[in-house]
Amino acid sequence: MAKIVVLGAGISGHVAASHLRRKLSKEHEIVVVSPNSNYQWIPSNIWVGIGRMKSKKILFPLAPLYKKKGIGFKQAKAISFFPEGDKDEQKPYILAEYVTGDNKGKQEKVTYDYLINATGPKLNFEATEGLIPGQNKTYSVCTYTHADHAWEGLNEVIQQMKQGKKAKILIGTGHAKSTCQGAAFEYILNVEQELRKHNVRDMAEVTWIANEHELGDFGMDGLLLSYGSMTIKSKEMVEMIFEDRDIKWIIGAGVNKIEDGVAHYETLGGDYKSETYDFAMLIPAFSGHGFKAFNKNNEDITEKLFKGFMIVDADYSPKPYEAWSVQDWPETYQNPSYSNIFAPGIAFAPPHAISKPRVSKNGTPISPSPPRTGMPSGITAKLVADNIIDSIKNSKESLHHKGSLGNMGAACIASAGYGLTSGSGVSITTYPIVPDYKKYPKTQGRKLGKTFGDIGLAGHWLKLALHYAFIYKAKMRPFWWLIPE
Amino acid sequence: MTQRISKYQRFKMMNPIIQFFKFIYLSIKIMIVVAGGHGGTRKVN
Ligand SMILES: Cc1cc2nc3c(=O)[nH]c(=O)nc-3n(C[C@H](O)[C@H](O)[C@H](O)COP(=O)(O)OP(=O)(O)OC[C@H]3O[C@@H](n4cnc5c(N)ncnc54)[C@H](O)[C@@H]3O)c2cc1C
Repeated sequence: MAKIVVLGAGISGHVAASHLRRKLSKEHEIVVVSPNSNYQWIPSNIWVGIGRMKSKKILFPLAPLYKKKGIGFKQAKAISFFPEGDKDEQKPYILAEYVTGDNKGKQEKVTYDYLINATGPKLNFEATEGLIPGQNKTYSVCTYTHADHAWEGLNEVIQQMKQGKKAKILIGTGHAKSTCQGAAFEYILNVEQELRKHNVRDMAEVTWIANEHELGDFGMDGLLLSYGSMTIKSKEMVEMIFEDRDIKWIIGAGVNKIEDGVAHYETLGGDYKSETYDFAMLIPAFSGHGFKAFNKNNEDITEKLFKGFMIVDADYSPKPYEAWSVQDWPETYQNPSYSNIFAPGIAFAPPHAISKPRVSKNGTPISPSPPRTGMPSGITAKLVADNIIDSIKNSKESLHHKGSLGNMGAACIASAGYGLTSGSGVSITTYPIVPDYKKYPKTQGRKLGKTFGDIGLAGHWLKLALHYAFIYKAKMRPFWWLIPE
Repeated sequence: MTQRISKYQRFKMMNPIIQFFKFIYLSIKIMIVVAGGHGGTRKVN
């Protein structure tokens, strides 16, 4: 009998737990440890943030589902890792602290045979002075509560515009090393469309601010994509959309301080500037959770497990951009020091960025960190679960299932406005996610045809279809496993 | 505002009938990218 502990009940933790439960017999124990009581389908937070979807539509409580499916659930947060156990406990364990109920604050050693760390990112608002969701007129859409607040803030500004007050709206990245430009891109297009729907577009100046050196970089070093019968750069596509929608842009900007209605930033050119606003949605930096790890003698071994995020089978040796290769990226998400620990989704430490690192004239690094979207988070979680299942069934380690971001495609359907007949979406697929400049030297490291873009109403329907399909899948309704990650 | 998307392009982007077929086309294309599978990148000797 094996016990598998999954930390985190986000996209990757939930995918891993549900596949493990489906494929392993009941004698094996699956336990999810996560501080959130609800599962949330994060991509639809964009629509919560414009008031077009209630947050209850994108979430459901985890405890009843896990009870019904025979998955153990502890509403607790992991604090530290003991991969060798300790003097009193022979088995490896994680120390978890309950976050709710009678047990709140109580700590427990949760032992395991296999550990899946799917704790995603820490939303590191503290890295930018004054960037606090709901304060200084800045908001976030990274969680459903943040998105609810963002809509309240946006609605207030819309009502003021209806009374004749002009407003400035600023959307993008809130730190020089932020990632997730795609989410901010979706939000700015949705907000812009909402302003038109509320007949206040003329009253608003809408501005994009980002740490990308050029539009459409998305933390992916940009894309060369098939667009209709043409081949264009993602920069050209985004520029076309922004110009068409009268959205201004500030790029190569590392936001470093927020005051009430003012964003201060440094540019790649080395200038220190500021931008005023009445409403801002700025994506914070993502970081690891600051977990500690100890060996059985209680000595600190954090550097064996973590490098900010969790260390896996990547090549972390420092290299210049020119020497980066797809082979640096992990394939099995297994920790090299402890073979029973894995980290899929956002929880693993990437070997380096994907976009070329850039530094301002003052020496400040200003460039996007590597994004890891929902699809690769789900795929990597499933392959980790499959390797653990094989290892348990064959009674010997099996790492047959592999999935490097350098040999994996991803689809990103960016909503560009809500509405069954008036909505729009920018559908982008990319293969591979991490560009392979050796294999595809003439097409910016990606395979044309499999890397394509499209704009239109169909994109909105796709995004809506994915919303319903993935919530159905997450609820583990009949035949849920037929829906791919 | 610079009109970068022509009226005809916009018509095609927002016409529900054209977009219905686009929806099916895109769904299949995305499935091909996703179902194309994934794997490692390192050669094992
Ligand atoms: C606004 C927004 C829109 C997005 N839109 C898209 C999109 O359209 N398409 C797309 O593909 N991707 C999108 N993404 C990205 C996508 O949401 C992420 O790739 C995905 O959520 C990552 O999954 P994950 O499981 O690794 O992390 P998360 O989903 O962040 O899950 C982490 C889990 O770990 C838990 N946790 C945290 N700390 C602890 C702890 N100490 N102990 C135990 N558990 C812990 C958390 O509570 C959570 O349950 C979007 C992201 C945002 C923010």
